[in-house]
Amino acid sequence: MEAVVVDAGSKLLKAGFAAPDQDPAMIIPTKMKRVVEDGDIDDSSAFEEVTVDPVVRGFIKDWDAMEDLLRHVLYTGLGWEMGEEGQILFTDPLSTPKVVREQLVQMMFETFNVSGFYASEQAVLSLYAVGRISGCTIDIGHGKIDIAPVCEGAVQHIASKRFEIGGIDLTNLLAQELWKTNPQVYIDINEVEKLKEQYACCAEDQSSFDGTLNSCPKEKHILPDGQIIWIDRQRYIVGEALFQPSILGLEEYGIVEQLFRSIMTVSPELHRQLIDNIVLCGGTTSMAGFEERFQKEAILCSSSIRPSLVKPPEYMPENLANNSAWMGGAILAKVVFPQNQHITKAEYDETGPSIVHRKCF
Amino acid sequence: MFGGDEVSAVVIDLGSHTCKAGYAGEDSPKAVFPSAVGSIEHLGSVNDNQFDKVNESLVDSKNGVETIYTEKVNLKRKLYVGTQALGYRRDHMEVLSPFKDGVVTDWDIVDNIWTHTFRERLRIDPTKHPMLLAEPTFGSLHQRERAAELMFENYKVPALFVAKNAVLTSFSYGRFTSLVVDSGGGSTTVAPVLDGFALQKAVATSPIGGEFLTQCMMKSLESKGIVFRPQYSFKKKERSPGEYQVLDFDFPNTTQSYKMYFQRAIAADIKECVCRVPDTPYDEVAYSNIPTMSYELPDGQILEIGSDRFKAPDILFNPFLVQTITGMENSIDSVRLRGLPQMVIDSINVCDVDIRRELFSSILISGGTSLMHQLKERLEKDLIEESPQSARVKVFASSNSIERRYGVWIGGSILASLGSFQQMWFSKPEYEEHGAFYIHRKCD
Repeated sequence: MEAVVVDAGSKLLKAGFAAPDQDPAMIIPTKMKRVVEDGDIDDSSAFEEVTVDPVVRGFIKDWDAMEDLLRHVLYTGLGWEMGEEGQILFTDPLSTPKVVREQLVQMMFETFNVSGFYASEQAVLSLYAVGRISGCTIDIGHGKIDIAPVCEGAVQHIASKRFEIGGIDLTNLLAQELWKTNPQVYIDINEVEKLKEQYACCAEDQSSFDGTLNSCPKEKHILPDGQIIWIDRQRYIVGEALFQPSILGLEEYGIVEQLFRSIMTVSPELHRQLIDNIVLCGGTTSMAGFEERFQKEAILCSSSIRPSLVKPPEYMPENLANNSAWMGGAILAKVVFPQNQHITKAEYDETGPSIVHRKCF
Repeated sequence: MFGGDEVSAVVIDLGSHTCKAGYAGEDSPKAVFPSAVGSIEHLGSVNDNQFDKVNESLVDSKNGVETIYTEKVNLKRKLYVGTQALGYRRDHMEVLSPFKDGVVTDWDIVDNIWTHTFRERLRIDPTKHPMLLAEPTFGSLHQRERAAELMFENYKVPALFVAKNAVLTSFSYGRFTSLVVDSGGGSTTVAPVLDGFALQKAVATSPIGGEFLTQCMMKSLESKGIVFRPQYSFKKKERSPGEYQVLDFDFPNTTQSYKMYFQRAIAADIKECVCRVPDTPYDEVAYSNIPTMSYELPDGQILEIGSDRFKAPDILFNPFLVQTITGMENSIDSVRLRGLPQMVIDSINVCDVDIRRELFSSILISGGTSLMHQLKERLEKDLIEESPQSARVKVFASSNSIERRYGVWIGGSILASLGSFQQMWFSKPEYEEHGAFYIHRKCD
């Protein structure tokens, strides 16, 4: 049986058997509803439905919810049998605390009784998905942004950066901006999320963004409940927020600048291979005009070496950027498990959870 | 007391230039960031809200860590720690360092640095990890007590150990007896280590370190008319495909210290890229016609650097060269300072006659400044000339640049993960029972 690869993001959980050329079998939202069991069915007000997010900003926070979610994914979704669990590969974001990793491996072996486990960092996996082992990954996810230079498969932790902004902050920004221009309309946050995916785009460069202040095409959008809202400049503001974080109220430089500062921290002989292989991944990068804008700003920041964004290979499916960590995990699973480089149940029983730090990088 | 793998110790090396922190047992630190912090003075009272805004990553705030923040409210300034926070230009932000002449003078800044390390960089709960701190080899007893107090009272760590830099460097090379030459950002220290203990009477230190050399480089280039534009003060714009234009921004409220800090950062990069230690002592006349090396500044200007390439590093060997650089004549008392080979010889001569031979044959160099090209060869050559005939001089330098730069941290990582070390920790119950001065008994 093939190994299972799970990429638990803050918004979507990608899971499936390791088949590198295909999309993950299950892409489900990492959101659960906790239904309070109340014996008294007549009193409907006691029925509280609370939304639970097991993964916050990339890290697993609610372990019980995560356990339930994984149980659904593994047994119901992918068809594992109790007593015949297979091998599993997990992806971690950057700067995962050691404790979180240990807890995960403990949960896997003790609660789920898997036969083999491996964990790897998302930055490295995204590079494997595009067929490289060196390069700089920018992962713009729902809950966080990770910038990681990787040399020969090893993440340069000293130079890597993590930002606590992501798709969710852009959604909030859009909601705020829409409320300013359409004050009477109340839009549910999930609806704003869909609007963001449909309309958000990036201006060509900073001067054309400033130009939208004066003139911008207005578009009419009809919400599912029949209300009408107008969208004009807000779509560009959302895209610009990544390049000018002051829009979000943060005191930071834009991501392109941060990328180059991060690369400068690494020793000079590695600069060329990092700048030549920049990989953009994560859902937010599929915004219209994002790649072109990124490329333009990157050329301005770098002086001698021309930066180039890596194009995914043709045999990979479309939307590789959204699922690149999962794809890389599938590729890695095909290498690690047959060669017995993973943690087996026997090794875990002997050493305990801390073995994850020694066997998995 | 703390068994092997389950509890992971944390090693912190707070140097005068950079702070290195990470888990014991790993081969390089996870978090490396400058020891300098940005500080904005507040007029009037400070509320809690402002501190919440500084830290966007306040996702899981445990109760123990929250109380640390409210204590800081009483001081009327806000500190920005770490490369990201320091790198963003803010009005009226001064750059401060907790160190002065190699010793810690501002413990509040150190407190902030440690908080930043634990919460944002390593994301750990300090109450669950024993801490290994590296201290300067010539550090005073008072400094050690203060560090212990801060760690136990504020962070409630379960156990602590403080080790001298020279000893840790020696461990990173796998030796118990050696002469350690540690040339870091703030100073250069020469210390003999014997059976894992640093010989205090023979420790020699000089204020000439990486930052001093950077300052010399900067003044030397400025006297030739070169203006350093800090990264934040300009922006490149594309005028037409392939042609770029530099636009200057004017930020009148930026403090002088901030501007100097970033200009120095550019000069430090120049120093790291082009400088080489000359094979023979620097001579103004001999090096005046040396071929130049070109270096491109961030704003596109191309510099041609000739004799300065060799002059700046030679200051380590001949401090009187400082007098020849305009603007630096009075910065240090260069008449009384000794060059590096002289410091080594003097240090060895203070030791017992029996061990001198062993010390000569195991001289270890470490620290960021030791990465300068040809330093090892020049030091060896000078020492062979000056040392007694019978001594066999051998200088060791790690070929891997990471190992040399973070030698002290790596030594700490090795020490804290040894099985036999686990009973030597100074634990919290011991601190509560005996007090801070007990640390001197436990940590050599």
